Amino acid sequence: MRKVAIIGVGMIPFGRRDEDSLVDMLSYAALNAMDDAGVGERPIDAVYVGNMGAGLFNHQSAVASALVDRLNLFPAAADTVENGPASGGSAIKNGVLAVASGHSDLVLVAGGEKMREVIGPRATDIVATMTHPQAEYIYGATLPTMAGLFTRLYMKECGVTSEHLARVAIKNHRNGLLNPYAHIHALITMEGILKSPHAVVNNPIVADPIRLYDCCPVSDGAAACLLCPAEMVGEFGKPAIVVAGFGQATDTHTLQEREDPTDLKAVRIAAQKALEMAQLKPKDIDVAELHDAFTILEIAESEHAGFFKKGAGAKALDEGQTEIGGKLPINPSGGLKARGHPLGATGVAQVVELVWQLRGEAGERQVKGAEKGFSLNFGGFGNNVVSFVLRRE
Amino acid sequence: MSELVACKCTNCGFVNYPKHDRCLNCRAREFEEITPSGEATLITYSEVCTLPWGIDERCRMLGIVQFENKVKAMGRLRVDKPRLGMRLKPSWEPVRVIGGEEVLGLTLRRAK
Repeated sequence: MRKVAIIGVGMIPFGRRDEDSLVDMLSYAALNAMDDAGVGERPIDAVYVGNMGAGLFNHQSAVASALVDRLNLFPAAADTVENGPASGGSAIKNGVLAVASGHSDLVLVAGGEKMREVIGPRATDIVATMTHPQAEYIYGATLPTMAGLFTRLYMKECGVTSEHLARVAIKNHRNGLLNPYAHIHALITMEGILKSPHAVVNNPIVADPIRLYDCCPVSDGAAACLLCPAEMVGEFGKPAIVVAGFGQATDTHTLQEREDPTDLKAVRIAAQKALEMAQLKPKDIDVAELHDAFTILEIAESEHAGFFKKGAGAKALDEGQTEIGGKLPINPSGGLKARGHPLGATGVAQVVELVWQLRGEAGERQVKGAEKGFSLNFGGFGNNVVSFVLRRE
Repeated sequence: MSELVACKCTNCGFVNYPKHDRCLNCRAREFEEITPSGEATLITYSEVCTLPWGIDERCRMLGIVQFENKVKAMGRLRVDKPRLGMRLKPSWEPVRVIGGEEVLGLTLRRAK
């Protein structure tokens, strides 16, 4: 396999983008990535677009073909990749394999979702189509429901409290304030979301025990990156950021079938594979972008990926280890919690953030001296997980 | 009760629900259909207050339970103050309207 490098990245600000269509957003992010790489008129061999629900959210299909058309990238091969909220991660994985195999030299990967085109309950229902049709969906189960069921068990077994969850939200909102691309630019406090008499109004229950500020927002947005063989990096003006490793793993569709529902097996295996391929240990990672669609997931993923022992993630959070200046900064971008979570965009946005961090281009949220980054994109409720390790060379 | 049909692997005895065509435990392909038996024990639950399109309720309690014959399933809880490990009695009742059709599902109440 050829070593694969990321030579261009681009994003657009996440949020509510009423003026832009899905393809508008994908195109703007792709152009930003192409300009970042300085590809000029060079032909792009293949395009992969991560998107979960354009058919349901936007009444549009064949999004990758539409993006090629919009950008005049003919006759590039084009595929839309759907893997729920991990669609972006899967799209990058496909792009990496295309370059690594020698089939393609220059590959554009974009991820995007336009979720705010529909009203909230409709968006909730569309996202809930990921649940099992007969065993979960018919009951009104949503992704927050699955998070609520999981959080109750995790709190009981791993000593996580509502304060720990709030602390994840507070940290990631603080980081998001430093990210011009973040959906949410608002500081929150423990008083405001948990401790004061107003907290119950500010931060209502969504799916007990998780509250509003334990959930990511519903966002529009897109992100993109350009991949090429590492030996071609010199042809572009960017530092070499290589995909040192990647991993993907699956688990049962329903939470109830897992022998231990608090064991995120797919997270464990995907992270292990990515780190092993990169020949690194969790302690070697300088910065991580984890899939905090719900605050509990940042803590649980940090443990299952091997950064902390199971049950020790909350303590690491308490000690400030996951802050931007800490031992292992997690979600300096603000994570899904503050950057936002346009489903298909998220896995790509995580990698974009890592590239900025490893290049030293992350501005006020820069993790000093970051050379190795880790991302984890969580599909379904942990039933399909994609992980990357990036390294500056 | 019951419209809920689980599949017990004839090779290893593992109870699969929902349906799989290869056993989750041993990958064998032969199953005996079984229904949940006895009372259920509450494994976890959540009161959901942001419900999806098509459910006109303020909040709804959902939980995961395990029956005496190892069938594990999600269901709707009709219980005031749930607690982990409590015993529940199952019934099969309307849980949602989908495409204009009433859909029946597992409903659980406190066992006496």
